[in-house]
Amino acid sequence: MRFRIKPSWVIPIIIFAIGLYCVFVRFTQGLGASTNLSDQFPWGLWIGFDVLCGVALAAGAFTLSAAVYVLHLDNYKPLVRAAILTGFIGYLLVIIALMFDLGHPYRIWHPLIMWNPNSVMFEISWCVTLYFSVLAMEVSNFLFEKVNWQRAFKVTHAITVPLVITGVILSTLHQSSLGSLFLIVPYKLHALWYSPWLPVFFFNSAMALGCAMVIVESFISSKIFKKELELSILTNLSRALVVILAVYGIARAIDINDRDAWDLIFQPGFEHFMFLAEILLAIIGPIILLSINRVRINRSGLFISALMVVIGFILNRFNVSMTGLIRAADTKYIPSWMEISVTIAIVTLGLVLFGLAVKYLDIFKDAKPCLSKGETCSDNPSCCLPTPLWFLIIFFWAVVAGLMFNGIRDFYNYLPNVL
Amino acid sequence: MPESKAFLFDVTMCILCGACGAADKERNQLPPFDGDIGQERLSANAFLVINKVQDRGVRHSCMHCVTPTCASVCPVGALEKTQIGAVIYHKDICMGCRYCMAACPFKIPRYEWDKALPYVRKCDFCYGRIINGQSPACAEVCPTGALTFGNRGDLIQEARKRFKAASPTYVDHIYGESEIGGTSLLIISDIAMEKLGYPGDLAENPLPSLTWAALEKVPNVVFLGGAFLTGLWWITKRREEVIAAEHHRADNPNGRKS
Repeated sequence: MRFRIKPSWVIPIIIFAIGLYCVFVRFTQGLGASTNLSDQFPWGLWIGFDVLCGVALAAGAFTLSAAVYVLHLDNYKPLVRAAILTGFIGYLLVIIALMFDLGHPYRIWHPLIMWNPNSVMFEISWCVTLYFSVLAMEVSNFLFEKVNWQRAFKVTHAITVPLVITGVILSTLHQSSLGSLFLIVPYKLHALWYSPWLPVFFFNSAMALGCAMVIVESFISSKIFKKELELSILTNLSRALVVILAVYGIARAIDINDRDAWDLIFQPGFEHFMFLAEILLAIIGPIILLSINRVRINRSGLFISALMVVIGFILNRFNVSMTGLIRAADTKYIPSWMEISVTIAIVTLGLVLFGLAVKYLDIFKDAKPCLSKGETCSDNPSCCLPTPLWFLIIFFWAVVAGLMFNGIRDFYNYLPNVL
Repeated sequence: MPESKAFLFDVTMCILCGACGAADKERNQLPPFDGDIGQERLSANAFLVINKVQDRGVRHSCMHCVTPTCASVCPVGALEKTQIGAVIYHKDICMGCRYCMAACPFKIPRYEWDKALPYVRKCDFCYGRIINGQSPACAEVCPTGALTFGNRGDLIQEARKRFKAASPTYVDHIYGESEIGGTSLLIISDIAMEKLGYPGDLAENPLPSLTWAALEKVPNVVFLGGAFLTGLWWITKRREEVIAAEHHRADNPNGRKS
């Protein structure tokens, strides 16, 4: 077999080459030359997106494996593999990102030996290490099955339930602890986000994000790899998603109320625009859309609503780790092109790994077109979304875009005040 | 056990001579600053600066908190509060996560942004000098007594004594006596601390207690969560078995055991 470079590889190869150059700069000239981080703002895009979002986006693994193996909700079984695979890839990317962000990456094992049980970061290090091992064992299960290594498959298969329970506990701990990281900065984090409930919010939103991610992935796989999951199961999952989001939304509202922070929502500044965009995108928009049956049973409707949840909670993590901290830091931080390039390279690596797994492991089924030949929308209404619902979806995205635009404009207006 | 040491910095007595900053640089072998006295900012090359604010000298350096936030957040214990009062940094342990920098309420730790393998830099209270019986370099060279070094308890008494004097008129508040659980750099002044650029409105509660409120629940999550999940697994499994058995009985109405 001859090795040939396909045209579709060109873009990933360019992205990886740029990413590698940035990593080279990072390890020869330091973090100052490669990032816009400063003493006032020591955590940026690599922590805010690559680590916080990477871990949260991987949360589908523990959520769905709990549903299937602990609660015996067998109808979700076809989703478990995709979720576990995403989880494994997500954590792998987080560890790769940490390798660039840590000052001394070769000491990443230090927390395992040098303990400080008072530190949230210590707990996260342990949980992530253990959970990554759990995920690796679960993924190896698919691999053993594929290569038909019966003996190894039997071993990993037999310990599935204890493995899943351990994984759920570890995930509960570190997903919430990523929120606990920010409990220590009450004087720095903006009061719209600082809350003693941060660990609960991070855990709850990780569950929502995990479910939404499985839906989004299924759609991407059907577009790119012509493989997908069954729509009816995803529709079912979106019902659970609405419940999780509603619990989260109510908890956020109670928290704002308890802390008397309602007036902050309308206080001028880039924070309030970003907060409103986050709430609309992550909570209100998807709850309204996914409560409509026609949206839930339609592939595009489901995808766009789940995408709202994903982007909404990415925005939430950005807000907690960056937007909410920038004013107290009294400095300016906009990610450097190198930080952005490395992040794009890491995301691309995730997509490539996911694509390879979809191709070689039995994760998804072959996709079929929704409308078969000669069928129209009236024959199969779940394949088409009525125009008014399209308008509703576009309306939500437009409002969010407006809020984000205003937020970013206000941020740029604010920048001259700090320098 | 040695008594905890501290600095007392009296803003009213500082004449902005810059001797303390120079002594700091000499002891820590840091490059000199080119600009005017009072203009330097904390960096990886300056662990102690005197800033000129409202014609007064304002000292910025590690506060050496009694319950240090940095030491509590460090996942590997690279920062340590010693019995003598100093918060010291073990560079051989640090993995460079910078959580100490993100967490410090006084925004003190600095990073070597230009190094490929950077370390955290900050004032170490001249720990090596103190355990040899000397006083810290900056306190030793201060010509006016604006900076004094001694036992923390004694310095608080000294500050109270100065408050009673007729002139200058101090603000009746020792900054660092109780802020976030107290610090080992105590500051007194004739105008409010916020006006000098120190973080105001810090509560008395040490910040690590906020984290501990969440971390102390970890064992509960592990044990209760484990029991709860195992229980759920068992109940749902049992339910499926019962349903299967009932289906089986419905298929064999004669009730004969198979």
